[in-house]
Amino acid sequence: MFDRDEDVLDRVIDQLRQPVEMDPTLDTAIMTRVAAGGDRVGRLAAVWEWAWRPREISVSPLAGLGLAAALVGIVVWLAGRNPRVGPPVAGPSTVQFVVVAPGAASVSLVGDFNDWDGAATPMHAARSGALWSVTVPLTPGRYRYAFLVNGSRWVADPAAPRVPDDFDAPSSVVTVGG
Amino acid sequence: MVRRRIPSQGLQGHNDALVTRVPDPWVYGEVTSDAEIVRRVRDGDTAAFAVLVARYRDRLGRYAVHMLGDRSDAEEALQDAFVRAHRSLARCREDAQFGPWLFGILVNRCRTAGRRAARRHRMFVRDEVSLERASAPETSDRAEWEDTVRWAMERLAPPLREAFLLKHVEDMEYAEMSRLTGTGVSALKMRVMRAREQLRALLTEVERV
Repeated sequence: MFDRDEDVLDRVIDQLRQPVEMDPTLDTAIMTRVAAGGDRVGRLAAVWEWAWRPREISVSPLAGLGLAAALVGIVVWLAGRNPRVGPPVAGPSTVQFVVVAPGAASVSLVGDFNDWDGAATPMHAARSGALWSVTVPLTPGRYRYAFLVNGSRWVADPAAPRVPDDFDAPSSVVTVGG
Repeated sequence: MVRRRIPSQGLQGHNDALVTRVPDPWVYGEVTSDAEIVRRVRDGDTAAFAVLVARYRDRLGRYAVHMLGDRSDAEEALQDAFVRAHRSLARCREDAQFGPWLFGILVNRCRTAGRRAARRHRMFVRDEVSLERASAPETSDRAEWEDTVRWAMERLAPPLREAFLLKHVEDMEYAEMSRLTGTGVSALKMRVMRAREQLRALLTEVERV
């Protein structure tokens, strides 16, 4: 894809330094918010500042005792409640897998979640043909996976942690939080 | 140098006229320094802020797009940065340093936006606009390289990506990066080095596929 003689990092930096044109209508959106003054961010910041501003509060000894008694009562009441039965149920999370496979005719995602079935989760190429991606719902847990290129070549995710599998084929691991 | 008189009317209550009124390139254009514009905004000429927006939009946008990997997230971070900068203009101690100060605000907004994107469980964020543009047949080689670079950048941990972009794309000195990010110089040097190593490894892996 690139000449070995040329430092690939120099090419990356050259690419990233290319000008990026943002949508000029952004100016209107920004100036509208600026002119409006009390925008969403401003109001939130003001509330945040108000909430954190220290204040002096005068409390009589009798009121202090009353407050302390009320707090003890709340703690005792909370401790006496029936604990929730069973663990919380976590729903599936949507995880997008992406791999660069320029020139590939087909790419599939295989892993613990689809019994390593090469036909179960085909990936879709962007129109440039280099990027292949698929989105799958996964319940919380740890999954081993790999990409199957052209139906026969197993490729591990280059950036994800690798784990050995039962057949000495390269595979990666993803952990989905609950 | 002859300068025309700068309109003094503010923008409050005239949102529809925002874009048509400003900027006037002769009055506010490249010949006018950031410091002068900042002073005018502080004096109540809100319209003058549009010149700073136009002046910094694309450069800051480039950082946000590369940092967040998603154009709509980048636009939102950019908007927030400018709005916060305007609101906090009194805290910009040196008017001539508006650019670096604004950049610091954007870096923080990108950190927040990045954490929000991570919570959406997206392992990789696509820049749909660029992908659309990249799919043009006449630019397929270039588009493929753009896709590859974007993919590799997304694979870097955000602190590494941030340090790499500030050092190598924005061409900042480590001392300036440290002031801007609140991170020590030695830690930044290590992040840049690790980012370089990981990028090289990722792109070598792509070459083998």
